[in-house]
Amino acid sequence: MIGVGKMKQYSNVLDKPLSKGKQEVSLTAFAFLFSELVQYNQTQVDNIAELERRLEDAGYAVGSRVLELLCNREKGNRRETRLLGILSFVHSTVWKVLFGKVADSLEKGTEHEDEYMISEKELLVNRFISIPKDMGTFNCGAFVAGIVKGVLDNAGFPAVVTAHFVPIEGQQRPRTTILIKFAEEVLKREARLSQ
Amino acid sequence: MIVCVAVVGHQNNPLYIQSFTEADDALKLHHIVHCSLDVIEERVNNPKKSGTTLNEAFLGLLYPTVNYKVYGYLTNTKVKFILVTTDLDVRDTDVRSFFRKFHAAYVDAVSNPFHVPGKKITSRTFAQTVSNIVGSYGLN
Repeated sequence: MIGVGKMKQYSNVLDKPLSKGKQEVSLTAFAFLFSELVQYNQTQVDNIAELERRLEDAGYAVGSRVLELLCNREKGNRRETRLLGILSFVHSTVWKVLFGKVADSLEKGTEHEDEYMISEKELLVNRFISIPKDMGTFNCGAFVAGIVKGVLDNAGFPAVVTAHFVPIEGQQRPRTTILIKFAEEVLKREARLSQ
Repeated sequence: MIVCVAVVGHQNNPLYIQSFTEADDALKLHHIVHCSLDVIEERVNNPKKSGTTLNEAFLGLLYPTVNYKVYGYLTNTKVKFILVTTDLDVRDTDVRSFFRKFHAAYVDAVSNPFHVPGKKITSRTFAQTVSNIVGSYGLN
């Protein structure tokens, strides 16, 4: 899933450059694997909430490992202790490693102090998925929400992370928003640190 | 000469302890590792504003006992690496490069999908890599 994109075609195998560190996986291979993951979980559960939870758990495992990996690879290893620091880390570095680009936007929620949103015009995992009408508000972005939850939890910022569709007029497919709600202790610690 | 390396999780639970000498008592080494956790806790919670920053990973010399020196390293996920050595003159760069290689080996071990985070690291490859790193440390 790291740097998902199209595979380059070379006419002559001798022209292929020696592989460097950056690895790319074909998008179709990942889409296949993800669809199989969703189907497998679908046969095992009865309702939507359980299916979302399973996808989130799968994402959580990925998130915790991605955090370890990124912290090792990043030069000038600094441990994030501030809220904005970890959010911008997720928004740019994690997204870049997983999806090949930074997330579209990072916003602070207006209603509650502890809510933040990362929005994406089209989540990579949702690109080849269309939700049937009877599934209601189910969003396969729960997998990505799980990844974000894994990263935040293991960095010391416990949070509840969910994925939502936000319909935008003028666009056929709705925008996806990852809603991050931090736990009480994170806010208290942040208030203490900002003094 | 490196005597012992240890990996301690973020709730101060031991994930991996390996000693490289038969001469000393393994229990004594465990005890030293355990005591050094307190020093790390103290360093993390009371940052020295001058000099080292709050976010530095390599903690440096934690505390010297009679025979040993103990070095610490803290990752972003609050996982701590402890190194116990009997060398009298230890270069800073050597220890830093040791921890860098150790961190890479640790990331490889944790990326294993069958590894449960929070449980002990049981990968044989990890043990092998750590032995290699320790073996090549003394030669530099």
